[in-house]
Amino acid sequence: MLDVTRCFVLLSVLWAAIALIAQVAAARGGGREEYGERSGSPGKGMLHNFTIAMLPWHKETVKHHPGKFAAGVIMHMGVILTLADAVVVLIRPTTGLIDVWSYTRWVVACSLVSGVYLLVRRICSRNLRVMSASEDYVSILATCGLLAFALLRSIDSQYQLIFLAYVGLFFVFLPLGKLRHSVFFFVARGDYGRRLGYRGVYPPTMERMK
Amino acid sequence: MSERDTDGARIAEKACETLAGSIRGLAAYHLNACVRCGLCAETCHVYQGEPVPENHPGAKVAKVAGYYRKYHTLLGKYAPRFVGAKDLTLQLLDELIETVYGRCTACGRCGIHCSVGLDVAAVIQTGRNVLAAVGKVPEGLQRTVDNQIETGNQMAVPPEELLSTAEWLADDLKVEMGDDDASVYVNQKGKRALYLVNPREVKFFPLSLMAAAGVFHAAGESWTISSKVYDVTNYGFFSGDAQSAAELTRRVVEEAKALAVEEIILSECGHGYRSFRWEGPNWVREEYPVRVRSVLELLDEYIVTGRIKVDPTKNDERVTLHDPCNLVRHGGLSEPQRRVLRAVTRDFVEMTPNRQDNFCCGGGGGMLSMSEYGDRRIASGRVKADQIRATGAKIVATPCHNCADQLLELSKRYDLGVEIRAVVELVYSSLC
Repeated sequence: MLDVTRCFVLLSVLWAAIALIAQVAAARGGGREEYGERSGSPGKGMLHNFTIAMLPWHKETVKHHPGKFAAGVIMHMGVILTLADAVVVLIRPTTGLIDVWSYTRWVVACSLVSGVYLLVRRICSRNLRVMSASEDYVSILATCGLLAFALLRSIDSQYQLIFLAYVGLFFVFLPLGKLRHSVFFFVARGDYGRRLGYRGVYPPTMERMK
Repeated sequence: MSERDTDGARIAEKACETLAGSIRGLAAYHLNACVRCGLCAETCHVYQGEPVPENHPGAKVAKVAGYYRKYHTLLGKYAPRFVGAKDLTLQLLDELIETVYGRCTACGRCGIHCSVGLDVAAVIQTGRNVLAAVGKVPEGLQRTVDNQIETGNQMAVPPEELLSTAEWLADDLKVEMGDDDASVYVNQKGKRALYLVNPREVKFFPLSLMAAAGVFHAAGESWTISSKVYDVTNYGFFSGDAQSAAELTRRVVEEAKALAVEEIILSECGHGYRSFRWEGPNWVREEYPVRVRSVLELLDEYIVTGRIKVDPTKNDERVTLHDPCNLVRHGGLSEPQRRVLRAVTRDFVEMTPNRQDNFCCGGGGGMLSMSEYGDRRIASGRVKADQIRATGAKIVATPCHNCADQLLELSKRYDLGVEIRAVVELVYSSLC
C-alpha cells in the first residue's frame, strides 16, 4: 500500500511540475521585448527585487500589518518544512524530517495556527471577502490540512499513509488554483525586477540611499 | 439572435482577443501570482481617500483576474464560480470601467510594496487595453485621445496659436534677457534638439515654455519645436489604446527625422516621459533613430558642466519636490531633478516618502480628463496634501503638468497656500 501511495505522490508531483511549466510558458507566450535604450541593469534589478526590496522594513504592507505578515511568513515556513518532511518520508518511510529535529514540530504547529488565523481573517474581513472566491478559502484549508497531517504523522506513524496520500492530492490541486503562486511568485517578482532594473528604477542609486 | 446580442458577442470576442494579447509576457505572470492577502490597502492613495473595499488594490486586481481565469485557466473554464471567473459580457465590461479608470491611477505604488511583488499597474493597464479595444473608454479621456490623433495635440491647439504664442514669447524673452538673439525656435531644420512640450504650456502656462527657452538660450543650445508635432503627452497610453499610442509615437519619430535633429528632449511630463522614453519603442517595436532625454537630464547637464550659472539665493523660499509616478517609479528618473533643485534653490526639502515610494497626487492615469471621478480624485489627493503641508514648503516643484494641475487644485481645496512651479521655471529664475 505504501508503494502505491509513494507512486501516487511522485505522479502528482510530476503532474504539478508539467502543469506549472506549461502555465508559465503560456503566460510568457513568446515573451515581451524592451526596445527602449536601456538605462540600468535587468540582472541587478532582479537581484534587488529578490533581496533588499523584500526586506520587511522596505515594505509598507509590513509596516501596516506586521502581525498578518508574520503569520503569512510562519505559515510558509511550515509548508516548506512539511514538504521537505514529505520528501524524507518518501525516501525513508521510517523517519521523517520532523522526527529527526523534534523542535520543527513546534514550527509546523505554529504554522498551522497561523494558517487557521489567516483563514479566519479571510472570513471576517470585508475587504478580503470582496476579493475572494471559494477557491481562496479552499486553498488555505488545503494548506492547513497539509500542516495538520504532517503534525499527526510526526506524533503517530500510523498517519504516514494518510499524510502521503494527502501530499499527493495537494500536488494534484496545486497547479489548478491560487497555490500556483508557489511558482508564479518567483516569475512575477523576477519579471518586475527585471523591468525596473532595465529602466534604472532598481536598484536605487547610492545617492538615493543617503 | 437580436442585433444587440450579435453586437455583444462581437464585443466579447474582441475583448477576449485583446485580453490574450495584452497579458502575454506581462500581466499573466502577475495575475497568477496574486494571493489576495489584502495587505496593500494603505499603500493606495485612492483607498486612503475613500476606504471602501472596491478601492482596495487587491479587489481591483481580482476584477481583472476574474476575466483572465475564465479564458486562461482550467478551473476558470469548468468551475468558474469556484475560482471567481467571469465572462466578458457587456454588463461586466461596464463594471470594469470604474475599476480601472475611476478607482486607479496605475501609479504602481501598491506594486512596489506588494508582499508578493505584483505589478498591479500592468494588470490595470490590461483592463484598460481591453476596454479601449471595445470602445469603452470614459468619454472625456477618449475625447482627449481623439483630439491628439486628429489635431496632433491633446488640447486641439491650432498650429497658428502655437506660432503666435512662440512669437510673443520670443519678444518678451528678448526684453527679459536683454538679448536680441534670444528666441523661441519653431520648425527650424538641422537644429541639435527637438523639444516636445505639453500643450498646456502653449495654452495656459506659456511662462513655462518661456523659461525653457530662456535656459536654452543661456546654455547656447541649438533647439526647435515643431508646430505640427510638439505634444509630449500621449493619452493613448492612459486610455489603453495601444494603436493610437503607437501612432502618436511614430509621428514624433518621423518629425525628428524630417527636422534632422540629433536628439529629442521631452519637457516636464511624467507620463509623457514614460510613454515616449519607455513604452513608445515597444509600441512601434523598434529602437529610436535618435537619442531621447528628459529636459531634467539636460538641465542637470547644463549645471554640472557649467554651461549655465545659477544663483540659489534667487529662489529663497522653501521648495519641495513632488515625484510624478510615471517619471520616477515607472521611468527611473529620480536624481537629475534633485541635483538641479539643490543647485537652484536655497532651501530644498524632501517630502516623506519620496522617489519610488512617493504617493500619487491623484491626478495621474488620465484622471484629470474624467470629470465623473472628480470628487474621488480630490479625496485621493488628501495624502499628498498632508505630505506637502508637513514639509512647510512655500513652493512645490513638480516636473509634470498633469500633477501641476492636480496640485493647484489640492492647494485650493486643502488650503495649502503653496505655489506650484515647474523645475525649469526655478532654473530660469535662478540664472545669473
